[in-house]
Amino acid sequence: MAMFDHLALGLQVAVSLQNLLYAFIGCMVGTLIGVLPGIGPTATIAMLLPITFHLPPVSALIMLAGIYYGAAYGGSTTSILVNLPGESSSVVTCIDGYQMARNGRAGAALSVSALGSFFAGTVGTVIVVLFAEPLTQMAQKFGPSDYCSLMALGLVAAVILASGSVMKAIAMVFLGLLVGLVGTDVNTGAQRFTFDIPELSDGIDFAPVAMGLFGIAEIVVNLERKLTRSGTIKVASLWPTREEIRRAIPAALRGTGLGSILGVLPGGGPTLAAFSSYTLEKKISKTPEIFGKGAVEGVAAPESANNAAAQTSFIPMLTLGIPSNAVMALMVGAMIIQGIQPGPEVMTKKPDLFWGMIVSMWIGNLMLVIINLPMIGMWVKLLTVPYRFLAPAILLFCSIGAYSLANSTFHVYQVAIFGIMGYIFSRLGCEGAPFLLGLVLGPQMEEYFRRAMLLSRGDASVFITRPISLGLLIATAILLLLMALPNIKRAREKAFQEEEG
Amino acid sequence: MSRFLSKDFLSGVMFIAFGLAAIFFGRHLAVGTPVRMGPGYVPNMLGYILMVLGLIIAGIAMLKGGEPVETPRLRPIAMVTIGVVVFGLLFERTGLLPALIALVLLASLGGSEFKLTEVIGNIVVLAILCILVFKVGLGMNVAIVNGIW
Repeated sequence: MAMFDHLALGLQVAVSLQNLLYAFIGCMVGTLIGVLPGIGPTATIAMLLPITFHLPPVSALIMLAGIYYGAAYGGSTTSILVNLPGESSSVVTCIDGYQMARNGRAGAALSVSALGSFFAGTVGTVIVVLFAEPLTQMAQKFGPSDYCSLMALGLVAAVILASGSVMKAIAMVFLGLLVGLVGTDVNTGAQRFTFDIPELSDGIDFAPVAMGLFGIAEIVVNLERKLTRSGTIKVASLWPTREEIRRAIPAALRGTGLGSILGVLPGGGPTLAAFSSYTLEKKISKTPEIFGKGAVEGVAAPESANNAAAQTSFIPMLTLGIPSNAVMALMVGAMIIQGIQPGPEVMTKKPDLFWGMIVSMWIGNLMLVIINLPMIGMWVKLLTVPYRFLAPAILLFCSIGAYSLANSTFHVYQVAIFGIMGYIFSRLGCEGAPFLLGLVLGPQMEEYFRRAMLLSRGDASVFITRPISLGLLIATAILLLLMALPNIKRAREKAFQEEEG
Repeated sequence: MSRFLSKDFLSGVMFIAFGLAAIFFGRHLAVGTPVRMGPGYVPNMLGYILMVLGLIIAGIAMLKGGEPVETPRLRPIAMVTIGVVVFGLLFERTGLLPALIALVLLASLGGSEFKLTEVIGNIVVLAILCILVFKVGLGMNVAIVNGIW
């Protein structure tokens, strides 16, 4: 049984003292940013990326992964206790979680969400283990045109996640692709859009872009809005009643299933998973009227779904090297910085890294239950730190982090420039995530596009004559069509309106 | 009037501008042929795509109108940007501590509530934290105050 050998190898890597420590640090930091509104996992990972240079690759990735799924856990705490989602995938948990808290069931809501998340995380990890190998084998049959089409699918799918207009999100993808081309052309050595600035000849680093686009823009928007907090609710008992358990279990199971599937799809991810599973629960419920008034299903399902999706969204990144969302794009960057080319070779060339990371994800999920339930009081206290203290601190860490990327203040100025751009984008209702994905995929996609065209002697039909590529392009077209359909458009608009409300 | 100040119209204009800029600044790059693409082929293509998308977005906004842009409040974005730039200017010349003080001070001025005692407290806490994390913990090779530490 090769699978068990892999897991044994992974376990060996994951339980080393150092890696356990970094998994723990990642989970703590993730929970922290999940709890603190005003900073999301994308900005945090961008901020901490430079620190990971000093770590061995496995530890670095374990820590970053911990931050990612830790945020999905932590976000639920504030959603339930103060009706303020710490990050976007916990937005729908507010609806019923906060109502449960007001009904005096805060403890039950917290434990249902933590245990549901743990269960979902476990299933998600198992799915990664089962699917990683076959998918990797499939990926090795991919030619340049197939890769190019796959990236197109990923980018289009990323557009679904954007909450504003589809057209604007598509334009943002193209803008990201364009900015990604800044630097030296690998085929000819020509300088493109570098304006004779030597630092630009290596291309634009995505870390300062993410810090500016997500970190600074978030801070400025929050400063404008004068982020205020409502009073917190006391947590009495953590135990759900028997009735609550009976209703939460099937909801958590459905959430896990839906979340796992949506996580694997490029462009899927925790936020989409949480929204879809909430909608599903409401639709199949015999008592839809209790939703919004403290239905335990409305907490169990989305919380399980977002965590399952957080796990399975690693699959396309690990097997194909294609990030499915902004955080995965940063993980790809972290791997490249560490000298690992993400893609199907990672599993065969670096099995310890691959399986170690996967096993550590499960261990991290276990740690999170412990971090989140008994230590809940501590996190609640943290919520009382006013934003006027946090904002300068986040800025400071971004600036130091940007500097240490290359020991150069040029990166600090880049953060400032992309901060202004991010602010303009957010004012115009254009989203940063599709832009960042385009930026990260741009150079690779151009590379594959040119190679595919060279191999086919300039015949673009290669993209539709190769079966894999054709299949992927058909999937892309279907996705685009689906988004244009009035029904889906309305559902999508409704989901995102709830998010803003 | 508001038709031209809608979020959609202005973002359409922005995409057109980026498309034009890509074509203009990339004009010296060889385009090549589809078989042997030059460095300018893909940027050029993206530039035209962006312009077309921008035109469509702006066009739809003109016909249908759209959400108006909120009047931006310039203080937060200005102070935050200035803070980061000043940090960049000071960091290598004077060391971490002066850069940190300048950044926290400027960023705090961007918010709506400013109490000097609080800001000083924040600076002290952050300075200790940064020195512990970056200097002691990660062993980053930076001066705390240039020439002294």
